[in-house]
Amino acid sequence: MSQRNSYAVGTGLFIVLGFAALAYLATQTTSVANSRQGRSYTVEAHFANIGQLKERAPVKVAGVRVGQVQSIALDPAREAADVKLSIDQRYSKIPVDSVATIYTSGLLGDQYVGIQYGSSAKSVADGGTLALTRPAQQLEEMLGKFFGAGGSADNLGGTYLLKARFTNVGALSAGAPVKMAGVAIGSVQSVQADPVKLDALVTLAIDKKYGQIPDDSAAAVFTSGLIGTQYVAIQPGGSPEPLKDGDEMVLTQSAMQLEDLIGKFLVNGSPGDKKPGEGSSSTPPAGKQ
Amino acid sequence: MTDPVRATPADSALVRVRGLTTVLNGKTIFDALDLDIPRGKITAIMGPSGTGKTTLLKHITGQMRGDAGEVWVDGQNVPALSREKLFELRERIGYLFQNSALLTDFDVFENVAFPLRQHADLPEVLVRNLVLMKLQAVGLRGAAALMPSELSGGMARRVALARAIVFDPMLILYDEPFVGLDPIALNQVLRLIRTLNETLGITSVLVAHELEAIKQVADHIYLIANGKVVAQGDPKTIADDGSPWTRQFFGGEIDGPVPFQYPAGDLAQSLGFVRGQV
Amino acid sequence: MNAQPRHNVVANALAQIGACGLFLLTILAAVPRSFRHGRETVRQLWFVGAMSLTIIMVCGLFVGMVLGLQLYYVLSIFGGTAASGTVVAIAIYRELGPVVTALLFAGRAGTSVTAEIGLMRATDQIAAMEMMAVDPIAYVAAPRFLAGLIAMPLLCCVFCALGIFGGHLVGVTWLGIDNGTFWSNMTATVDVWKDVVNGVLYKSLAFGAVVSLIAVYQGYTTPPTSEGVAYATTRTVVASSIAILALDFVLTAFLM
Repeated sequence: MSQRNSYAVGTGLFIVLGFAALAYLATQTTSVANSRQGRSYTVEAHFANIGQLKERAPVKVAGVRVGQVQSIALDPAREAADVKLSIDQRYSKIPVDSVATIYTSGLLGDQYVGIQYGSSAKSVADGGTLALTRPAQQLEEMLGKFFGAGGSADNLGGTYLLKARFTNVGALSAGAPVKMAGVAIGSVQSVQADPVKLDALVTLAIDKKYGQIPDDSAAAVFTSGLIGTQYVAIQPGGSPEPLKDGDEMVLTQSAMQLEDLIGKFLVNGSPGDKKPGEGSSSTPPAGKQ
Repeated sequence: MTDPVRATPADSALVRVRGLTTVLNGKTIFDALDLDIPRGKITAIMGPSGTGKTTLLKHITGQMRGDAGEVWVDGQNVPALSREKLFELRERIGYLFQNSALLTDFDVFENVAFPLRQHADLPEVLVRNLVLMKLQAVGLRGAAALMPSELSGGMARRVALARAIVFDPMLILYDEPFVGLDPIALNQVLRLIRTLNETLGITSVLVAHELEAIKQVADHIYLIANGKVVAQGDPKTIADDGSPWTRQFFGGEIDGPVPFQYPAGDLAQSLGFVRGQV
Repeated sequence: MNAQPRHNVVANALAQIGACGLFLLTILAAVPRSFRHGRETVRQLWFVGAMSLTIIMVCGLFVGMVLGLQLYYVLSIFGGTAASGTVVAIAIYRELGPVVTALLFAGRAGTSVTAEIGLMRATDQIAAMEMMAVDPIAYVAAPRFLAGLIAMPLLCCVFCALGIFGGHLVGVTWLGIDNGTFWSNMTATVDVWKDVVNGVLYKSLAFGAVVSLIAVYQGYTTPPTSEGVAYATTRTVVASSIAILALDFVLTAFLM
C-alpha cells in the first residue's frame, strides 16, 4: 500500500535527520571536534607551574591550533610538571630554541600552551624537549595586588574626615569602603566634582581607631574582584606625622582602568601578539634547566 | 471458523445466560436473568430504554462482568475466561456497534482488513480478495478507497458489518443497527442481516427498538424489563400474551408498568404546598 | 471517573500520579506485544515526530537567534562576546533544547495524541478493537508511547542544531563575532558526555517518556464525551508542562 510506504519513508527520513543532527552536535560543537587530528609527533616541555592546564588543552602557535596536550605528569626529581605535547605532523619544524608558555584564553577561559618560535635552524625531533618554557602566569597574583578583600566598615561610631582628590574615581560612590592593607577602616562619605580644579573631591570617614595614618600615605581607587564595586585603598607612607581630621591626602592614584591593565595581559588566543623577545628576555625562563 | 470440537451440535443454544445479576452504581440492571439464544436463528432483544440491552451484549462478549451468574457462549463460561481465552472467543464473534466504530485512521478497505491483518498472517493477495468479497456482500466494493468520514451513516454501518463478518464468525451481535437510518438504508441493513443468517447460518442477536423491522427478520423476541425477561416468543405471538408489559411496549402506551413519571416525591410537597392550607 | 471530591486537591493529584504510574506499568507490559504492531509504531512516529518537525525547527532557530542577540548585548559589557558560542551551546544543550522541545512537543504532539485517543474512545473505536480481539493497550497506547519516546530525543537534536545555527547566524553573520572564535570557544568548552549526552539525550528521553505517558493516559482515561476530550487535552498540556519543569530540576540536580 502506497499510503503505508509513504509513512515509512517519511518516518525514516525523520529518524535519519534526527541522528544527523545528533552526530553534528556531538562531533562539530564539542571537544570531540578538537581531538580529531592526523598523524602527530610528541614534544616534551617542563613547566615549574602549569596552573589549570588540562589534558587535551590546545597547543597553539601564533594563535593557531597545532596540537594538544597529551599528558601531564609530575617529575618528582625536578619538582616540575612534565607536559607531553602532541603536535600535528604538518608543523614539525619547531626550532629548538622556541619558548613554550602557558596562557589563559580570555579572562575566565581555559589555559593552553603557546609556542613562540625561536630563530635556531635546528628543529625539535619527535620525542624531543623544548628547553625554554615559562610557567602559567598567575593572573590572580598579578591582579591580586589590585584587588582587595571583601568586607566593609560599619563601625562608624567615631570617625574623622580626610579629603582626597582624584582625576578619575571610576565608579566610586558614597558608602564605598575605605581599606588599608585590605581591611576596612572607614567609608566614603561623599564624592563631588570640584568645579574649579575639575577633579573629584572624595571625603573619607575613617574610624578614630586608625588615627595614626602617616601624612604621606597614598589613596587609590581600586576594584574588588573583576567586576566588583570600587573602593578606596590607603597605602601607608613612612612619615612620622599622622593625618588629622579634615586633612587632604596629597598622594592619590585614580581609578585604574582594569581593562587597560588586563588588556596587555589577555592574549585572547595569540602569544604572537607579544613583541618578540619580550617574554623570554625580561623574565628568565623558569623551567630552564 | 467455528471450532468443530468445541461446538457441540447437541446444544441447541449458542448462548446461555443463567442467573445473571448486575448492579451498576446502585441500580440493579439484571436481576437473576435467564436467557437462551438458539443457534442459527435471529434473536431480537427488546425492551424500554435503559433496561440494559446493550449491557447484555457486553456481558456476552466479556466486556463487562456481572456480579453473579453465568454466561455460557459455545460451551465456555465467559466471566471465568482468561484474557487470552476471551480474545480467542471474540475472534469468533462479530459485533456491530451502534455508531459503527470504524477506525478513522484507515480507509474502508483497511478497516475491513484490520481483523485479518491483526490475527492472520495472510498474503496480501488473499487479504485483498477476502476484503473485496466481504465488501461486495454489503454492496460497497466501489467504496473501498473512501475514508470513514466520507461515508453516510448507512454506508458506515454496512462497512462495519463487512468488518464484523470478515472472519466468518459463529455469532454476530447487532447493537441498535437501525438507529438513524433512512428507510432505504434500513431495508438494506435488514436484508443483509437476513441474508447473512440464511446463507452463512450465523447466529444473530439483535438489540433494537424498531418493532416493524424486527418483525420482518427475528425468529425469536425477548422482552426485557426490570432486569428480567418479561415476555418471549416469536414475533407473531409475543404481543398476544396479554401481560401489561407487552401491551404497553408493543402498543406504545404512555403509562403502564413503565411509568411516565420518573419516581419522585409528592408533587404538592415539592411545590411547597402543605396539605390543608391554602 | 471524577468521583473523588474536589476539595482534596493533594489526594486527587496523588491519585492521578499513582494511576498514571500503574498505567505506565500496563503500557510497559504491553510493549513486547506491541512489537507485532511495529507498523503502527512507525505510523505514530510519523505523526508525533515528523509532523512536529516544522514547529521544532522554527522555534529552535528563533531560540538560538534570541540567545545570540541577548548574549551579544550582555557579554559585550564585559568584552566577552567571544564566549557567546560557548554560552549559546551550553544553554541550549543543557536546558533550553530539552525543555523547550518538550513543551512544544506536549503542545503539538501530546494534545493530538490525547484528543485522538479520547475520540477513539468516544466513537467506540477502542471498544471495537477489544471486540476484534485486539488489545488496545498494545495497539493504541504502547505505539504512541514508544513513538513519543523515540521522537523526543531526535526532535531535541534537531532543535539544538537549529539553535546553534540561529545563534551563529545572529552572533557571527549579523553582529560580527569572529567565526573561528565562536566555534573554537564552543568546542573547547562543550563536552560530549556532560552536555550532549546528559543534557540533550537523557533529558529529552525522560521528557519524551513523561509527555507521551501523560498524553496517552489522559486520552485513555477521559470520559468519552466531547467535553471530556476537550478537558483532557487541556490537562495534558498543563500536567506535561509542570512535569517537564519539575523533572528538569530533578534531572539537573542528579545529572549535572
